[in-house]
Order: sequence, then structure tokens, then C-alpha cells
Amino acid sequence: MALEDFKADALRCTRCSYCKWIPFDLVKSHDYAKGCPSVDYNKFHSYSAGGRLITMLSLMQGRSEVDDDVVDIAFKCQLCGNCDVACKVCRYDMEPLAGIKEFRRTLNEQGKVPAAFPKLIGNLRSAGNFAGLPQAARRGWTEGLGLKELAPGGAAAGAAAPVLFHAGCRYSFDPTLRSKVQAAAKVLTAGGLDFAVDPAEACCTGKAYDMGYRDDFAAGAKANLEKWAAAGVKTVVTPCATCFWTFKRLYPEVAAAAGLEVPEILHTTQMADRLLKAGALRPARRVSLSVTYHDPCHLGRQGEDYEAWDGKEVKIYGQAVVYDPPRPRYNGAGGVYDAPRDVLKAIPGIELIEMERSREAAWCCGAGGNVREAYPEFNAWTAGVRVEEAKSTGAEALVSACSGCEKNFAEAVAAAAAEGAPAGDLKIYDVLELLEQSL
Amino acid sequence: MEGLKQALSGVVGDANVFDDPAVLESYAADQSFVLPIRPKAVVRPGSEDEVQALVVWANQTGTPLVPVSSGAPHFYGDTVPSAPGAVMVDLSRMNRVLKIDVRDRMAVIEPGVTYEQLRPALAAEGLMLVSPLAPRADKSVVASLLERQPTLVPRMNYALPEPLRNMGVVWGDGTRFSTGESGNSVLDIDAQWNAGRRLTDPKGPAQTDFFRLLTGAQGTLGIVTWASVRVQLIPGAKKTMFVTTDTLDDLVDLSYRLTRLRVGDELLIVNGTYLAALVAADGAEAVALRASLPAWTLIIGIAGRALRPEQRVAVAEQDIAAEVAARGLKLQNAVPGVAKSRIEAALEGVAPEPHWKLRAKGAVADIFFHTVLENAPGYLATMVDAAVAHKYPVADVGVYLQPQHQGVSYHMEFSLPYAADDKADAARTRALYSDASTRLMAEGAYFSRPYGEWADPVYNRDAAAKDALRTVKAILDPNNILNPSKLCF
Amino acid sequence: MPISDEAYAALEAIVGKENVSRNPAVMDSYAFQWLAELVRPELSHFMPRPVAVVMPGSTEEVQAIVKLANKYKIKVKPHSTGWYHWAAPMYDDKDTMQLDMRRMNKIEIDEKNGIAIVEPYVIHAQLHAEAIKRGWTCNIIGAGCSCSVVAAACAYMGMGPGAYYMGGHAENVLGMEWITPAGEIVRSGSLGSGDGWFNSEGPGPSVRGVIRGALGQRGGLGVFTRCAIKLVHWSGRTDWPVTGTIPAYRLPVDETQRAYTLAAPDWDRWADLYYKIYDNELGFIFHRQFNLAGADLAPAFWLMYTDPTKKLSDVPAMVADPEIAELTEEMRISFQIVLSGRSVADIELQDQILDDVLAETGCWKVERFCDKDMAEFTNVYLQRLGHKHINFVWVGGYIGSWMQIGTPDWVKGYIPTAQAGLARDAKDGLLVQCGGDAMMGPGSSYPGGGGVGLEQFVSYDPNDEASTRAGIKHMEDAITDALSIGYPPGKEAMYLEMGHSDDRTFKKWAAAKQPFTFIFQRKIKEHYDPNDIGDRMYNYIPEEYEPAK
Repeated sequence: MALEDFKADALRCTRCSYCKWIPFDLVKSHDYAKGCPSVDYNKFHSYSAGGRLITMLSLMQGRSEVDDDVVDIAFKCQLCGNCDVACKVCRYDMEPLAGIKEFRRTLNEQGKVPAAFPKLIGNLRSAGNFAGLPQAARRGWTEGLGLKELAPGGAAAGAAAPVLFHAGCRYSFDPTLRSKVQAAAKVLTAGGLDFAVDPAEACCTGKAYDMGYRDDFAAGAKANLEKWAAAGVKTVVTPCATCFWTFKRLYPEVAAAAGLEVPEILHTTQMADRLLKAGALRPARRVSLSVTYHDPCHLGRQGEDYEAWDGKEVKIYGQAVVYDPPRPRYNGAGGVYDAPRDVLKAIPGIELIEMERSREAAWCCGAGGNVREAYPEFNAWTAGVRVEEAKSTGAEALVSACSGCEKNFAEAVAAAAAEGAPAGDLKIYDVLELLEQSL
Repeated sequence: MEGLKQALSGVVGDANVFDDPAVLESYAADQSFVLPIRPKAVVRPGSEDEVQALVVWANQTGTPLVPVSSGAPHFYGDTVPSAPGAVMVDLSRMNRVLKIDVRDRMAVIEPGVTYEQLRPALAAEGLMLVSPLAPRADKSVVASLLERQPTLVPRMNYALPEPLRNMGVVWGDGTRFSTGESGNSVLDIDAQWNAGRRLTDPKGPAQTDFFRLLTGAQGTLGIVTWASVRVQLIPGAKKTMFVTTDTLDDLVDLSYRLTRLRVGDELLIVNGTYLAALVAADGAEAVALRASLPAWTLIIGIAGRALRPEQRVAVAEQDIAAEVAARGLKLQNAVPGVAKSRIEAALEGVAPEPHWKLRAKGAVADIFFHTVLENAPGYLATMVDAAVAHKYPVADVGVYLQPQHQGVSYHMEFSLPYAADDKADAARTRALYSDASTRLMAEGAYFSRPYGEWADPVYNRDAAAKDALRTVKAILDPNNILNPSKLCF
Repeated sequence: MPISDEAYAALEAIVGKENVSRNPAVMDSYAFQWLAELVRPELSHFMPRPVAVVMPGSTEEVQAIVKLANKYKIKVKPHSTGWYHWAAPMYDDKDTMQLDMRRMNKIEIDEKNGIAIVEPYVIHAQLHAEAIKRGWTCNIIGAGCSCSVVAAACAYMGMGPGAYYMGGHAENVLGMEWITPAGEIVRSGSLGSGDGWFNSEGPGPSVRGVIRGALGQRGGLGVFTRCAIKLVHWSGRTDWPVTGTIPAYRLPVDETQRAYTLAAPDWDRWADLYYKIYDNELGFIFHRQFNLAGADLAPAFWLMYTDPTKKLSDVPAMVADPEIAELTEEMRISFQIVLSGRSVADIELQDQILDDVLAETGCWKVERFCDKDMAEFTNVYLQRLGHKHINFVWVGGYIGSWMQIGTPDWVKGYIPTAQAGLARDAKDGLLVQCGGDAMMGPGSSYPGGGGVGLEQFVSYDPNDEASTRAGIKHMEDAITDALSIGYPPGKEAMYLEMGHSDDRTFKKWAAAKQPFTFIFQRKIKEHYDPNDIGDRMYNYIPEEYEPAK
């Protein structure tokens, strides 16, 4: 792909600004009508999806040049995908989210990235993770759980592991999230699932993709796919929504190019839901709590199944644009929304209250698109907006299913507490943490 | 003087120029407290061309023109010259009903067309015009609409100037023009009509609502020569019902609800004094009647039009009854103490002579303004307070509340009858009128139609409006020949 | 010419550094506008680039910016949501700053009196949502709920599918707060007297008469910073229980409401039906909506759209389906109507009357589009108008031609010509061939009936030069077509005008049947805009263009 591939999208953008809002039919209030943290925080139209397409067009037409403001426009965005969903309420010929990613890749290739990026990618290259922490520290969370481990070298060196539990970097390294990933593993164990963890687990590298470091992403993806193939992994289950999305939506292209298979990819909430519905998990202990559930972008609207496509634009009725073969339509309709909710509903005592912006219209936690690392203030603001919304439901707890979301919300709640804001007493849980309490 | 008469005769013909002192005197004053000034002539033009010629002549000679369309009595001083040497332009001779279209429900009328004249003309076609409360027979329909007199059916009052749509006008500088959608086409109403235009859209042309500039203008900007009005089907079934209470507060919530639901046609609130004045044959009966009437009455006209009118009325009545009952009130078929037919006549017909507001004591001073309904009880208290302070009998104060603009805005009117020939009564009433107006204005009552002495305080409160209107005046009537010294001009 | 450092620093001092930009790329995201390619040299999608984009946060900041603009002789073009080429700077050779009003986004609702007070960046979806919660609703303009309420109410036409019952914004706007090009504040009606927002008229002659009109100033003369708007009773559920899968959500039809698609056998009976709907006071939202996809394709298109498993590429096969082909003929002349009753008894009676009217006129309900599923879709579509961007669904470029407003009988007169014009201009395949007519529009653009308009939806590819040029030609053809049958030019003339020179435009206005308006407005402009910081979106003719008396 290249910037030019999105020229038609830019020229067919009408500056309608749907990309700034949640799908309008879902709007229930003035305060929670907005869908795009980037334009809401940064305000200029350039910070919307449409604005970014126009900025790309302006660059392509030589009307403007890449400068610091343009870098900011491209990267100061969580890539949360609300724009994509909202745009596609009415359009079949636009791919704004993909366009923004291409914008980033193009700038990255020119060496135009936010100041934080070189260090981050350097960490990945040197330490195998964006945090730059020693790989050995990954295993800390498994201590005392007695989990099976994928033997070094994979199947050839040890027992086959049809189900691999992939914890993800943040869950692995961040001690404040440890109880959540442990709860996930305990739940799966309680459900009788035969699974293994990989003591040499590697980063999914999805973040590298979004930063525009496509080669780093592809290398990481290929390595993981090869390892899983070698280990005979049939299913990867992960509690991290970003890893889930990376495996599910980004790996297939790498796999196809390398002649590899992508195993079945499941989020832990999906696996838990299966176990619950199969009767393997029987939550009995009451957890008296009112909760609201935050859909992680990568599990919800971007968690749709991948569809391979290699086609072209054709016209019918003279000028109407369609694609041959039909192009996949990622519009959030097929995201993972119900599994986490069904798990919560299965827990005795849990009262689930929806936020106004939920499912495909969820407001981002703020962390996506490397905003957490590159633009900490914007990240904190976005998370702050979401915890306020969660608090406005009257729920006692905000529950999610992603390490980035949970980390961000915990910090936003602490910030709210420091300011004496109402959201300061909100509790933050992972879905499986609550399920584990009920077992 | 002969030169004047000759000049005017040259425009409108000898028979339509009047300078008889008695005639002039009849235009020199009205029921208001406005200072009487005698015009020097009265002319009755018969056509748009004559009106335009008069305006051109007035510009050339610097003669003030005061347009008037309705017959006496006038109440607000707007047609009393504010400057000496004025010529009254009496439009009563331009009284043709130019067009009636049943399918499009539009009529086009000249300014001299009166309610008494228009009602049967429309009724013959199965149509009616939403009208003000009990207009006098020779009240000009166009003048009433231009003055934004409140009309009786709030749900059909989509905007305050309704049902006024397009107008032909001769501006103060002599330019002829037509407003609204008509202004986008040729200056020829027949040509427009024949091309299928029905002059229904009042807005514009372009970025100016000329029709809005003409409303409330008291003839200061232009002389209207025709107007198109939106008319309604005559209901196939009708019923009038009432809710009576001891206090105004008891009706507030119900009136909010009924206007919000847009149920019923006529909807208005009157106190006993006002209702008595409206239906009584004379002052004595009014006094007797008001003692027996409820303190407050909400009058609701329920109508069914076109298909299944009786069912429409029945369902509306049922819906209204539910709302009334929900507030612990009672929906009544009649107001105790007065024949229903007399109230219905006031709602539907023109008022017989003498004017019902004058029957009680021979003269009346009306204070009226716009408000949201929730503030009305407070303004009532202020009025009562002022009446007490001025030793004006509180029982004589008539109160009328007319929801407008589908209930957002209410015309609130205090009617203060007095004996014109009793100097003390007149002086007391005048002092009350001034004092109460000042107090109400200070409390937020919006005097949207600033007649007479209200004009200065109103425009002093809104300097930007004064500037805007003076700018408009300077464009449309640069020599200030149209009704000079009115409003902020 | 770039804005001077001095002027720019002064802007920063007013709004804060973070709320002003002169970066070329940032400003290009304002210069880019829909329809630009139809009026700009070399089919550029960019209108003239502003010299700065400024985001005021208050009425006072707007005043200060406008006064600054006068000092430095920079034009000011405000926009709220900023959609249409009208919202952009007009001149290449005159410095213009774009005001983006997005920081002014507060809303206040006076529940008792049914009034909402809004700032410019409150969009209709927000107002509607806040109103519904409180048992009120509001007119939403035809352009859809993504648009600013203040812009539509004060500065544009403000009509919509609900205007027939609810009133358009022209009828519903109450107090308005307007910053003149010279930086003074004018407040209309009761607001100017300090008495509240509730009354739009007066004092005396209505001041609003000089600041709004039929079309609105569209940013050409000053800036609107707040307005109040009248709300309308909502008889449905206040929790807005929208269900369904994107993109076609569903809103269950409340027991006091109905959502129908009605059809007529020919245009004469279509007009008869409209008149009878008016006379019987039926209808809450009344709009010819779904036909925007074209009479040949609309049924297939909407059945595709409401099935989340389907894509645009499925339309041809659906069109060929015999059942859908039959449906296409059944609803070739059709429109949508939502009824609302005060009570169940009221809506049931309305239903009976509608059936009577259909029987009298020989018209019918399109059952497939009146079934529960499609009724719920119709309901959410028309109540919220959150899908208006479907105007662009075929290929991203759309022109509304025609749309002259008048009585049904009058509008009926231009339909055959509009149909023939589309067929002629699309026959080479440079415009979307959606067949028959693609005319859409309100049952009445103002309350009580009588103001129908039908807009021909013409789709072109903005990514294709030949198609874009065909779009331009269609607009020019539509003007010629209208004049040939004695109708004034329609919406396309307003679109094209944006690309014309002042000289051409002034000459056109000077040749108007009644040029008085343009002369009057020049004098108003001279008063309020002495330094000409506005543009001709506020229409006027300079003195030298005035026709001889």
C-alpha cells in the first residue's frame, strides 16, 4: 500500500464529520455524543479521520509539507477506529482507519515520527518488548500457578500444546496488572482447559504496526507464527485485546506470505464464555457489585474476523463504486461484544449497567496507537473522560478486558481521586477477575 | 390647503380626499393616551398605483403620511399622527378579496378587507382564517396581522406573524416590492398566481425577512397594498369546553400541557372580568356578570376538520379530559353564569358595536406584553399591586392570556376600563397604566409591540435594536415621511 | 498573503496559542470542502485556503476576533461543523480567517417552556438526544443531525423532514445572538430587551428580519454565537431504545406512533395525497426520503442496507430479483411518513383517516416497507436523521439539483423535466444511473403544508475528472431545463454561484426580477460591515451594478 492508494478515499471524503461522533442513532446525550478523542482533544479538523485524509491529499498534491504539526496530526490519535465505524454507517467505499495507518507508515519511512518512538522501537529491537525490560522478567506472573509451559523450541523439544495462553507484554511485566492475568489463568484452569504458557513469550508487535514500523511488525509476527507452528499450537488465547487483535487481524497477511497458518485466536473472555456455556465453569459465589463494561477497541469494533481480500474497484450503474471480489466490510458489526457481557451476566450478584457509548461506539481508553507512550497528557485526558462516563452510570466498578485499558483506567481513577473527582472511587477490574471471584 | 387638496385629488380623485374638520378630528385621537394631533387631510387611495403616487408626492413635499386601514375605535395610538401636517392614508377603500384557493388554502386580500367581510367570503369556500379574539367588524385583517395581534389557535401559530405570508408594499421611498417567495419573482401578483405560485412562503427574499420588518412597524416603513394569508378548513365538528379555577396558578400547568400536545383549536385564559366584558351587552351586565363568573376560565375550542371530524373531536375531548383530570380539575361544558353560545360567538364572530372593551365604562387602557407562562402569575401580582397602589378597583382589571407560537410565548393583557369623561378616573388610570407598565417592564415583561409611551423605555433597553431599526428606516423611508416619530424613529 | 506575525500574535492573545493555527496543512483541512471540485479551477477539491484558523471560546472572544479582523482588514468566515463549500473562504485574492466554532458547544434546556439554548457547535443529534430524554423532540434539518443547530437556525435555511409538523428553524428559532462584522452584539426579540429567550419578534418591527431571512447569511455577515430553539412534544419512549446492528439500527415504533412508506400510482394522485394529508393534519415527519437512491434502485438498495451481511455490490443481484423488481414498481412514486398521536386513541384514529385518504386517492401503503422491521428502520432514520450521509453512498459525490419549493401542484410540474434531465445526463455512464427519478424532499418545508420541494440526487465520482465534469454539466443543464419550463433555477444554481466571480454574480443579481433585496442588503452591509470583512454569502449588489430606476 501507499499513500496514493488512499487518494480516492480522500477525494471522496465529503468533510461530513461523521468520523467525529459515535453513530448518530446511538447518541443519547450531549456529553457522550463525541466519538473521536483525537479531534475532541486537539480540536482542529485535521485531527479527525476526514481531516487526516485531507492532510494526506494536501501532501500528495504538494500543497503542504511534512512538518512537526503534520507529524502530530498523523500520530496524535489512538487509532481507536470509531471514525471507521461512524464513516461506514453511510459509506461502502471509504477506509479511513486504514488510511491513517498508511499515513503513519509513510511518515515513518521518512523518519518523521514522534519523539518517543525511536526509543520504543529500540526497546523492541534490543529487549524484545517495548518496555525494554529483561525478557526473563516475563515469567514472574506465572509463579505459584503451576501452569504448564511450552517447552523451549516448541513441539520438537517438548509436549504439544494445542492451547497456548499468551499473556502479552503489559500483563507480563506490569506488577499492578498481575492479579488480572493470574485470575484469567486461574479461571481457565478451573474450567478444565488444558493449556500452556510460553516462558519465552514474545511481543505480538502489533504496536510496531501502528507506529509504522512494518518490518519490525512482520518479523515479530513471523517469528511467533513459526514458533506456534513448530509447537503445534492450535489455539492462542490471550487476555490482552491488543494481542488478540494483532493475531487475529494482522497476522493472517504475514502468515499467508510466509505460507503459515494462524491458529484459532480467542480472547480469554471468549474462552471463559465457552467454558461457562459448556457447563465447565459454574460461578456460585455471589459478587455483589454494579459494574459497567468498557469495550476495548481491539476486542470490540476492531475485533472482527479477518477476511483475505485481493481485489479492485469496479463501477456499476455507471459510477457507483463496488469491489471485485466484494471487499471485506470492517464496520464493527462483527466485533466481540457479547462474550465479555455474557461472562459478567453469568456471575451471581453482578449488575451490568451500560455506558451510553458502548460496543461499536465505545470511547477509547486513551492508550491505543501508542498515544500512551507518545502523548501522555492526551492519553490521560482520554482515559479521564471515560472513567467519568463510567462513573455517570452509577456503577461501582469499571470492568474491561485489555491490559492497556485497565492500566489507563487505574491511573485515571487515581488522578480523579487526587483531584477529589467523583470517579476517584471507581474500582477497576478485568472481566475474568470478577469471574474468578465467583468460582 | 387648496393646493394640497388639489395635489391629493390628482392622485386619488376628488371623492377620496377629505379635509372636513369633523373627519380630520376623528383621526386626531383614539382610545389611547397618545397626544391628539389633527391631520391636515385624509385620502382613500383605491389602488397600489395611487398609494405609490402618494408616497412619491409625500417625499417630494415632505408630508408625513399615516397609514390606517381599520375603522374606529383605535386603541393604541399607532394611527394618530405624531407630527403635525400629516395626511392620513386610509386604505379602507382597497378592500378586494383578490384570490381564494381552496386546494392550496391561501387567500390574497387588500388592506381594507375587514374581518366582517372576509369571514363569509372564506366560509363560502369552506374556509376560515384564524383570528384574534372578537375583532370589531371593520377591523382590517391585514392591519391586525401587521400589528401581530394575538390569534386564538396556538397550535396553528407556527410563528408569531402567522397566518401572514407574502405582502405587496410601497416602501417609504416609493419603491414597490413584494415580500417572501413573491419577492423572488415578477412584481405582478396575477402573473405569479397564474404560474402556479401561491405565495405561501413568508420568508425572504434572500437574507431578509421583509415581512417581519413590516410587522409591528405601525406603518413606519412601508404601506402594505396586499397580503397573502394561510387559511384553514372550516371544522366539520366543533365543541367548546371550559376549565374554571379560583387562581391563575391552577391553570398554568394545564395550559402548558395542552399547548404542548397541540390539542384543540382555540385556547385562552381569561379572568371573570375579562370574560364578562367580552360577552356582556353593556357595562351594567358586565359588572353583574363578573360577580357570578369563576375567577379564571380556560376556554378550549375543540375542532375536527376534513375526514371523521366528530371522531376527531371525541378523541381530542377524551385526551383533554384526561389531562384536566390528572390535575384535579374538571372539564366543563359550560361556564356557570353565562350562556355558552355567547362565548362561542366571541370566539367565532366579529364583535357587535359598541366595542366590547368600551361597554363597561366607555374607555379602556390595555397593557399587554409577551411572557412565558410561568411568569404570568408574578406579573398578575405586580398588576394587582399597582392597581391597589393607585386605588384602581382590582375587580375592574380584566386579564387575558393568549398562548402564541404553540405555547412558547403568551400574550398577557391587562384591560383597565375607565370613564373617559371622569377626569379623576382617567388620570388615575393613566398613572396606573404608566406605573404598571414600567414595573412590568422592569420585571422582564417583554413589550414586543411598543406603542405610545412604551417605545422609549423599550428601545432604551435594547440599543442594538434601535440602531438596527433606524438603519432599516433610513433605507426604506429615508425622508421619514411614514408615520414619523413612532417607535424609535 | 500570509497573516502578519503581529496579527497572528494578537489572535493568539485572544484565544490562546493552542486555538489558532496558520499551518498550511491544518488550514487545508478547512479549505477542502464537498462541492469545491464543481466550482474551483482545475476541479480542485480545495476552496481558497484561509490565512488562519481560529477557535473562539466565547462571545467575547468572537467579538475581539472580529474587531481584530477589521483592524487588519482580514475577512472572517465562521463555520460550526463546516460542511459545504459555502462554509469556506470565498476569495483567492482576499485574506480570510476561518472561525471554527467548535469550542462553543454548550446546551441548556428549559424543560418547562420547551426551549433549548445552544451554542454553535451543538449538533442536532445532541439537541435531539437531550430533548428526547425530557419528553421533547426537535426539528432536524434535512442535511441531517450532524449539523449545527445554530448554523441551521440562524445562518442557513433550517428546514427538514419534520418541519411540516414541528416547524422549520425559521419558525422555531427564538432569541439569537449575533456578532456583527463590526464586532457589536445584536440580540433579537425578547433577548435584546433582557427578558429571556422565548420571543423572536420585535420589539416593534422584528430585528431578526435583517439578520436571517430565508436563506441565512451562511457566514457572510458576522457570527452567530447562541440561539434558542423551540422544541416539540415527543410522545415516544424517553430512553431512546435503539437496537440492531450497524449500519441500519432500528427504533421500535412507539404505541402512539407509526412509520409508513406510502405510494401513488402517478404524480397527480401523489399531489392529491399530499393535499389530503395537509387537510387532515396527518403526519409528524413527512418526507420523500428513500427515493434518494433512485427509483430503479431504491428498494434493492434499502433492503441491502438493512441487512448487515450485504454489501453495495449485492445491489445488482437484488434488483434482478423478481420480487424486488415488483416492489420497485410498487413504490416508484413513494414517500415516508411518521405519524404521532397524543394518545393511543388519537393514533388509531389517525390510522383510520390515513386509510380513508389512501382509499380516496387510489394510493397505498407499501407493505414490505411498512412491516415491523422496515418500519423500525424508517422510524430511526427519520426521527434522528443520522444517515443523511447516505446521500453520498454511491460514489462520494452528490449534487442536489432542482428543489424549488412550492405547492404540490406546482412542484409536480417540474418532475417530468427533472426526470428526463437526469436520464439524459446520466446516459453516458458518467453519472450514477439510478433510473427514473432520484428526487427526495420534504412533505412541506414549513409548517402546515404547502412547501414541498423535490431535490434530484445526482451522484458523480469526485475521483474521476470526466464524472466530475458531467456533474458540472448536469447542474448547468438543470438551470436551462428549469428556465425552459418557466421555473426558476434550483439548488444547483446556488452551488455553482460559489465559483463565479463577483462581477458575474452581481450582474446576475442586478438582473433579478426584483433587485430591490440586493440593494437593500448592500445598505445593511454598509452599516454593519463597513470594512467588508464578510463575503457575498450575504447577497448584495454594489451601487455601480444597480439597475437604472
